[in-house]
Amino acid sequence: MQSDETKKILLVDDDVDLLEQNKILIESKGYKVITAENSKEALELFKTQKPDAAVIDLIMEEHDSGFILCYKIKKDERGKNIPVFILTSATYVTGFKFDASTEEEKEWIKCDGMLNKPVVIDDLVQRLESYFKLEESKA
Amino acid sequence: MQNNRKPKVLIVDDEKALRAGTKRLLASEGYEVDTAENGAEGIKLGTSCDYDIALIDLKMPDIDGIQVLQKIIKAFPNTVCIIATGYASYETAIEAAKIGAFSYIPKPFSPEEIFQKLKEAFYKRQILLEAEKLKKERGERLLEVAFEKTRLNTIINSITDGLLVVNKEGQAVLYNPSALKYLQLDNIKIEEYILDKLHPEITGLINKILSTQKFEHKSYSTQIDLNREHQIFVEATSSPVPLPNGSLAGVVVVIKDITGLKKLEILKSQFVSMVSHELKAPIAAVYGYLKLFSDESIVITKEQEKNYILRSQGRLDSLLKMVNDLLDISRMEMKKVNREIKALKILPIINSVIELFQNELKGKEIFLKLNSSENIPFIYADNDEITRVITNLISNAIKYNRPGGTININLDSTASYLSIEITDTGIGMKQQEKEKLFQEFFRAKNEMTRDINGTGLGLSIVKRIIDFYAGKIEVESEFGKGTSFKINLPLRSGMFKTEKEGQIVLNEI
Repeated sequence: MQSDETKKILLVDDDVDLLEQNKILIESKGYKVITAENSKEALELFKTQKPDAAVIDLIMEEHDSGFILCYKIKKDERGKNIPVFILTSATYVTGFKFDASTEEEKEWIKCDGMLNKPVVIDDLVQRLESYFKLEESKA
Repeated sequence: MQNNRKPKVLIVDDEKALRAGTKRLLASEGYEVDTAENGAEGIKLGTSCDYDIALIDLKMPDIDGIQVLQKIIKAFPNTVCIIATGYASYETAIEAAKIGAFSYIPKPFSPEEIFQKLKEAFYKRQILLEAEKLKKERGERLLEVAFEKTRLNTIINSITDGLLVVNKEGQAVLYNPSALKYLQLDNIKIEEYILDKLHPEITGLINKILSTQKFEHKSYSTQIDLNREHQIFVEATSSPVPLPNGSLAGVVVVIKDITGLKKLEILKSQFVSMVSHELKAPIAAVYGYLKLFSDESIVITKEQEKNYILRSQGRLDSLLKMVNDLLDISRMEMKKVNREIKALKILPIINSVIELFQNELKGKEIFLKLNSSENIPFIYADNDEITRVITNLISNAIKYNRPGGTININLDSTASYLSIEITDTGIGMKQQEKEKLFQEFFRAKNEMTRDINGTGLGLSIVKRIIDFYAGKIEVESEFGKGTSFKINLPLRSGMFKTEKEGQIVLNEI
């Protein structure tokens, strides 16, 4: 993968240790990773660094911080064209399984997929890859 | 029926010789005899004492025998009266019987005749007494039954649990007002078919027993969400009611409000899920680092490795602290705290806590000032608990302070309470953060608190301790400026007995 084609992923999590670990894991798959520990930092990075995708933890300052951040990114002209994935352990807490695999769910949650924590990096990478490939084929 | 008792007899006669002769005759046989020499005296005696038998002369100068007899019978209906008359005739006998005489005896009478009459009369008397006794007993028994029934009804109607009894045909037989409430019915008609009017689950419980058509010692229970909107949960239990011969008479349903229990259960599971979440985060972090170390495809530098080990240790440290705090909270909840209540001086406690934090204070260049008015009285409390309160508050005042800030501790007292105020010049709190401050696991999250460690249980523990001593904790805070905690502790709480050699005993918990 050439350097100008290296995709830049914005990773957001308020747990600095998980942030660090996932950064290293995603980088090992050949991506560039920029990290933010909260929604405010994340929005600034999104504007200045122009990432190609965002992976956001759901529960940060509030229980729905991830959804709100996702909404703000998707509202942006450039942001609506990048994939946003939300990480959650809500399934364990609420017993209710979130997903965004169907069009209807994507429309409702406005993100491109929900991933259970702890994240299986190969799954995440696979979903990112398939999204990027789809974009390429469209272009 | 005959017993050895001899009858008590009243003789009313104006003839002195007959009076005396008869008295002597009867007394010789062991009878108890009173005599009256005219009608007036006869009435006086006969209405003041319940004689077994009255022997009354029909013709007397003042009042005639019939009037005397009437008065006596009115006063004592069981006194058996015999009319004595010198003009015995068929008419006299009829007349005497009409007005209530048992019999009559013609005068003069022989000893055999009078004893025969008295024997018959006494037999009659004993039958009358026995009958009266039985009647009285029956009356009392009836009264008792009636009273029992009212009392039982009153009790059943007073029970807060709902009670409904149905017979084998599914008709209502008995219910109390609470049952109407839980069954959500306006009224129940006795003997109306009720099974189609009840909550289906309750009908199900009743049918489980009715369908067997025989009596078995077996109850069925279920919990029902009666009203989702107002959150009313009940537990209904159906049990069979036997007839005296052991066959099935019907079903009794008891409905108990378990809303309080249910709410507690929900709170408990919320707490458990919150605790699990809080415990999971540090475990996931340490697990993640271990996975990085073991993943051969990941290249990390020695420096990174050292950093990650330190971070893992930090997470495990806080995990351990959290578990310890949780155990403390659980002990407080179960009221299993071993307290040693003593008269304590607060100033040395505060000084020893400050001493403990010297390194932190120096490291952050925080200036701490302690002001205390003179003659601060003793408080009666457990030393460890008060130390813990002071430690938590001073630790927070350092952690959330800015470098180079100050901490002011003010100690004061009134006649009834001691006040400790700890004010910092730290990052302060927003209103919504202040409201959640004493909740378990609440921690203010923003860029300024990022690097501050804590379990989120410290202030919750402080509040529980202060609450135990019937004290009060207040917070004032301005975001970005600082926070002030003020504690008021009663100097002598009603919970404690008076001092005994510097140590007092817990009265009640």
